[in-house]
Amino acid sequence: MIRLLKIEFKKILTYKVFWILLGLYFIFLTLGIFLAEFMINNMINNMNKHFPIPFAHITLYFFPDIWQNLTFFASIRFILIFPAIVIIILITNEFTYKTIRQNIANGMSRNEFLLSKLQIIFLLSVLITLILAASIIILGLSHSDTQDFTGIFRKSAFIFGFFIEIFSFMIFAFFLGFMIRNTGMSIALFVLYTLIIEPVIYFLLKIPSLQPNHISTYLPINTMIRITEYPSIPVLSKTMGFQIQDHVSFLACMIPLIYSAVMIGIVHWSMHKRDL
Amino acid sequence: MDQISIYLETILSIHGLSKRYGRIQAVNNLSIEIKKGQVFGILGPNGSGKTTTLSTVLSLVSADTGSFEWFGNPPCKENLKRIGSVIESPNFFPYLTAFQNLQIVAQIRGIQENKIDEVLQATALYDRRNSYFRTFSFGMKQRLAVASALLGDPDVMILDEPTNGLDPQGIAGIREIILAVAAKGITIILASHLLDEVQKICSHVAVLNKGNLLFSGKVSDVLVVSDSFELASHNIPELVKILSLHPKFDRVEENTETVVAHFKEHVNPGELNSFFFEKGMTLSHLCERKRTLEQHFLELLAENQHDQTA
Repeated sequence: MIRLLKIEFKKILTYKVFWILLGLYFIFLTLGIFLAEFMINNMINNMNKHFPIPFAHITLYFFPDIWQNLTFFASIRFILIFPAIVIIILITNEFTYKTIRQNIANGMSRNEFLLSKLQIIFLLSVLITLILAASIIILGLSHSDTQDFTGIFRKSAFIFGFFIEIFSFMIFAFFLGFMIRNTGMSIALFVLYTLIIEPVIYFLLKIPSLQPNHISTYLPINTMIRITEYPSIPVLSKTMGFQIQDHVSFLACMIPLIYSAVMIGIVHWSMHKRDL
Repeated sequence: MDQISIYLETILSIHGLSKRYGRIQAVNNLSIEIKKGQVFGILGPNGSGKTTTLSTVLSLVSADTGSFEWFGNPPCKENLKRIGSVIESPNFFPYLTAFQNLQIVAQIRGIQENKIDEVLQATALYDRRNSYFRTFSFGMKQRLAVASALLGDPDVMILDEPTNGLDPQGIAGIREIILAVAAKGITIILASHLLDEVQKICSHVAVLNKGNLLFSGKVSDVLVVSDSFELASHNIPELVKILSLHPKFDRVEENTETVVAHFKEHVNPGELNSFFFEKGMTLSHLCERKRTLEQHFLELLAENQHDQTA
């Protein structure tokens, strides 16, 4: 296991594209977290122009709701695609440069090769989750008066939800990378599916029937990024029909994990079946 | 010699290997046995199944039917760690240095990193070890591929068209390295479409065409398949008459100024000269004609073509 990680680190550590994309991700993540509050308050200002009784400004950074709020804004599709594209590039590079052929011919088994990529996805998910958790704690402590342990960590289950979100999202990238093998095609299909195709299917399925547990909620990307379904902002729940979510549901965590298992299974099968 | 080689350890044996890509039969019921210490050439034109065969024994491609064994073991990754391979183009990360690329290879094969400098020196790349792979010329890339194959003293080295696309200097460099490796007793399997290359480097050869094995044996056996002599004297009819008295005489082709004499067995040119001299004839011209592997190769291909159209 350590041997495989060392090999994978060697492939990544001096690879500029990897660090640039990861850097961009953290910039967008930070922007997302800070702009969210600003933009919502801006929206409230606009609403207040038309209402006699003004709505109060909100803050996203009070414990314990900050866990839910920031994991919600961190799992916006546009932000999440950056680490996923990193994973696609790391995998399809192996096919472009034919290093996968050379690795296998040099005595790495196909399973070891898959495992080395899964390890990177797992570690990257842990890293991003830890950074988000640290940001939440720092922001929360500096904005709210809550200083007792239970008060701070009451909604921290949302961060585990976020871990599953980002992990399964990168597994989807892993799946496309190994199946398509071409960098440009994989990224194009990934972006197209995530940002356009699935949202369109979702709305086409959803609109005729508005009941909550409709089939449309089980579309893969939808399950992966909506473990934190809504932020905890009462004013938005009242005015925009956001539902109130106060916990992470076990089922919502299991479905993306099941999708991940199926995709890993298909990649495993195809690696043993297809020629390199 | 062949009696001895039977007792040598078998490195690779391929039994009835077949692989089809759509309508193209890339390899057809191929069986080859390669013994320890051989420099084994797989010779054939482009598309004859060389790369498919090598990709199969390196576990990159799965065969439709047939099997193979390395060192008497069924396919497994431990076999592959004993084999150094250069497959088609040099396969490295362009954004890593030569040294970093070889570190990855060393980690995969479980080799100490201090061996890296050795192979970089052997391939004359030591001075450029910290340069990015993308900055290398094609010749240097190919040498790095050979360096990677040499890492950890493999028992076998597989080279697929190692000199393809190189300039004459690059070709000479790679061949020098291969011959040095062969001199150490490492078994070499070399795929090439160049007869000249196989002739210069290999001890044994298998000739492939359209996935079929046409011939397999020692290069020296194919190199001299039959001897013939170009002869001339002032009296051609007399020459032909004396020639027919030779115990190993087979047939003669008469041209205007020379004749080509074919013999059933190998005849020494000196012995032939004294034979004529004893019969009272001095030759004005005597030239031994060896059939080269190239001629033989082309004939084999032509025969095969003929068989297929017939």
